[in-house]
Formats: sequence, structure tokens, C-alpha cells
Amino acid sequence: MNLSLHRFDASDDTMIWQRFIAGEESAFDQLMSSHFRALFHYGSKFSRDKEFVKDSIQDLFLILWEKRNNLSTDIAVKPYMMASLRRLMHRSMTSQSRLLDEPFENQEGTFEIEFSVEQEYIEHESTLVLTGKLQKLLDELPRRQKEVIYLKFFQELERNQISEIMDVSPQTVSNLLQIAIKQLQKHWKAEFLTLFLIHLFI
Amino acid sequence: MDQYKNFKVEDFVWDTFFRQWILSPTRESDLAWNQWLTENPETSALVRQAREVVLSLHVKEPRLSDEEIRLAVQNTLAIARKRRIEETDEDRPKRIYRSIWFQVAASVAILLVAGWWLQSHRGQSLADRPGNSTIDQPLFAGTELIEKVNKTDVPLRIQLADNSAITLTPGSSLRYPETFPGAKREVYLEGEAFFDIAKDPDHPFLVYANELVTKVLGTSFIIKAYERSREVTVEVKTGRVSVFAKSDPDLQAKITRRELEGVILSPNQKIIFERDQIRMVKTLVENPEIIVPKSQIPHFEFEDTPASEAFASIGKAYGIDILFDEELLSGCPLTARLDNQPLHEKLSIICKAVEASYEVLDGQIIIHSRGCRN
Repeated sequence: MNLSLHRFDASDDTMIWQRFIAGEESAFDQLMSSHFRALFHYGSKFSRDKEFVKDSIQDLFLILWEKRNNLSTDIAVKPYMMASLRRLMHRSMTSQSRLLDEPFENQEGTFEIEFSVEQEYIEHESTLVLTGKLQKLLDELPRRQKEVIYLKFFQELERNQISEIMDVSPQTVSNLLQIAIKQLQKHWKAEFLTLFLIHLFI
Repeated sequence: MDQYKNFKVEDFVWDTFFRQWILSPTRESDLAWNQWLTENPETSALVRQAREVVLSLHVKEPRLSDEEIRLAVQNTLAIARKRRIEETDEDRPKRIYRSIWFQVAASVAILLVAGWWLQSHRGQSLADRPGNSTIDQPLFAGTELIEKVNKTDVPLRIQLADNSAITLTPGSSLRYPETFPGAKREVYLEGEAFFDIAKDPDHPFLVYANELVTKVLGTSFIIKAYERSREVTVEVKTGRVSVFAKSDPDLQAKITRRELEGVILSPNQKIIFERDQIRMVKTLVENPEIIVPKSQIPHFEFEDTPASEAFASIGKAYGIDILFDEELLSGCPLTARLDNQPLHEKLSIICKAVEASYEVLDGQIIIHSRGCRN
């Protein structure tokens, strides 16, 4: 049986990564091209400056390339790069604000994320209203809960990977995730009920 | 897939497997879900709605064209190539030492080495170093072990050479050396026992019980490790205890080092090792007890006290981490007298009063609340 390969993204990644470490330029190209968008999306949560995010990704790959001899061949590629980008950006933002003599807004920086509802997927008016509510609830979550939700559900990462990226214990990841989802579900349930009641009265 | 039977829309929306099926279906997931839908036709409306929600909910991302990516990659590659040529001429070490990454890595490495050295230099031979040893069974160099089996039907108290006391449940057995000459104090348990271990931080006390190793510096705790039971449990009364599996690849290092590693248990916490799944679950003991000395037990009498303060004071008295959103709960005033109720009742009463709820997760308590500002 020949199972299609494209489904095993993670193992593809590992192979490209190993070639990258071996110093193959084509692997450099492939690795950066295939991860650029995801890294850019993640990086843009820490800064609205598009060019700064792009520059940070460039720096990240140059640093990885430079110290490739000291890198492990056996890592989860995507989370590793996301964690490195996060640290790199935080570091340069902290030093920038020090240069400008401005206090860097809390040590962990910001995580600016906005959710949107793409209407073309929705056939029923009631679902549209509900999804809109959910979007609002998501937007209102505290910063770290948003980041966990984003990494878990919109970047499809696992608990341990998220804990590496955010530099907190796996326990903290579970806690944040639990609290966030419980919040979303609870409020949403209430919304269901109100909607139902409105229907009754109309 | 039985768990999905009682799912509501909001449960489906945040279920990993459901999302995977919707967002990147495979032949296997299609098969599984379609079969499940045929068997549970009543859920099809819910599933349809959840699918629409999952598909339509996006993260707003800044625009980035493929061309921009291509340019950025080309640009970066060109810089990398140029540096590579420079490197062959220039002295390479210099630029590595200059890089931030190197400096950070170096300071981390120095800290790690220093930390390791500080922890491990205390009277340990080279052979005890992590990595140097492949022994997976602890060795007793020339020490004869005494075996005590409790054949009576009352608990049996055993006094060890270091003044530790072990109370052995009927039918259980303990093997231990007459004296503890080495750096470690090691005993073997089959069955159940209560351990009250004499404090001696320089000589860690280790209990081997089925697949688990429990390491303490001086505390009291209960281990249940029956040969035929599917679980091994450790419950902590006082002090702190670390637990790890016998199969842990770093076992030797964890045993020898002075500090506690692995899963760390505090008073009122309990670990359950599920033997068939080789999985450890941390939770709370059934009836947590107050751990601070009697004279220091606070009065749990609250009058217009912010619920956050009440939770903090309870958490401290029981030595349990109670996680809550400080900001939300500080706006919830509480008036109650809770001196005589057991922990879970205290929590239920407060939660009811401030419209919150709680759950036990990984040996901690999590409070869910929407806050009290109207």
C-alpha cells in the first residue's frame, strides 16, 4: 500500500531539517519557504510591523544556518522554529524599547489576535449569529489564553510543543486551555439560551 | 467514539478529532465519522452546525503574497551564501562568539553546569553520575536485606535504623537493610504501608514499589502497591515527595541527586500510576487535611471578603494550589463561616455564593468564574 506522503508533514519536515543541518542549500530554501507563512502569522501577533516580522524570520533562519552544527537532528521542527522566533522577537523588542528609553509593556509582550467569521461557510442564519458570539468571546479572552487557543486549535500543536513555545510548564498550558475553553463553552451556552428565549417571544 | 454521544455544539467545536476531520479530513476519519453519524442520526443537526462554526471561524492574518515569501527566501539565502564565503576567509570562531545566540547558550550552559555541580558534588563517586550508569535495578553493595512480612491482621510498625517508622498493612511486606551505610536509604515495598521518614536531606530515602520509585528527604506518606492491583498510588501527608517510574531512563541520576525531581507531590496530593497504561495521574487525596500547625489555622470566617482572598487563604491552609483569575474574583464579595466543613464543601459553598465552579486537575484546583460585576 502506498499511502500518500503529503499527509505526513512532520516526517517530511524532519527529513528537510536533517538535510538543512547537513548544510544543503536546497533544504534551506525548502524549509524557509514551507514555514514562512506560518511563522509570519505567528510573529505578527507580537508586532504589527510587517517588515519587522519578516526581518525577524530572516534573522532566525540565518542564525539557525550559522549554528546548524550544534543543532539537534531530532526535534519537532515547527514548534522549535516558532519558539525560537518568539524568543528572538521578544529579545529584540525588549532591547529596542530599552534604546528608546521606553518601558517595554510587560515582560511577556503582547499577543494581538483577532478572529473573524467567514460567511461563505455558513448556510443558516442562526449559525451565523452564534459564530459571531463565539468570535466576540474569543476576542475577549485574556492574552495568554488566546495564545494557547491559537497554538492549539489554529496551529494544531500539542501540549508539550505549546509549553516549549510559550516557555511555561505543560501543566500551565493545560490549565490555560481548560480555563479558556470552559469560559467559551459556558458563555456560549448562556447565549444559546437567550437566543432560544428571544425566538419564543417573537 | 461513545464520548461523543452527549456532545453539544460547543463541545464539538473544541474537540481536536472533530476539528481535524472537518479541517483536514482523511479517508480514515471520514469513515469513522460517517459511520458514527449513521449510527447516531439524531446528532446530525448538531454536527452540521458545529461544522459550519469550525469552518467559518478564522484568525485574521495579515496579507502576505507568495511573491513576498519567494523574495524573502531568496534574499535570506543570498545573505547566507555571502556569509559562507566570508567565513572561509575570516576567522570563524570570532563571529560565533559575537552572536547573541552563542552568548545566551553559553550562559545557560554555564548555569546548568554550575547547578549540576553544586547539586551533585556532595560526596558522590564518578560512577553515580547520570549517563555513566546503565543499572536499572538499585544495587546494595554487600548489604543484607531483612524481609518483614505482616502475617497478622493488624498493622505492623517497623522501626528502621535511621529512626524512620513504617507501618505495614496486613499482608504486605517490606525489605530493608539493617543499617544505611551509603548515601541513600533504600527499601522495597510490596503492598501498602504508611511511611514516616526521619529528616535527613543528605541521605535521600527511596521506596521501590512495583514500577514506581518514591524519593523523599523526610516526610510522611502512604504507598499502595499491591502485586495484583492495576494501580500503584502514593499519597502525601506532610513534606514533599518525588515519584518516578522505574523505567525512567534517567533513573540513576534522579535517585542520586540531592534534590527532588520527577513528579513532585505536596501534602494532600496523590499520584496514581496506571500499570497497564504506564501513565501517571496526579490528583488530590480524597479528604484533604489542613497542613499548617493548629495554632496557625486561620479562621475561615468571611465577611464581605473578596472571594479571591478566601480561596488564597484556603489554598494556603491546605497546601493546595488553587488557580483562579485574581482580577475577576476580587470583585466577588463573600460572607460565610466555613470553619468546620471539609475542603470540598468549603469550595462548593463559596462557588455557589459567587456563581463559580471548580474542578480538580493535576493535583490542583481550578476555579471557573465569570466575575461578579454586573
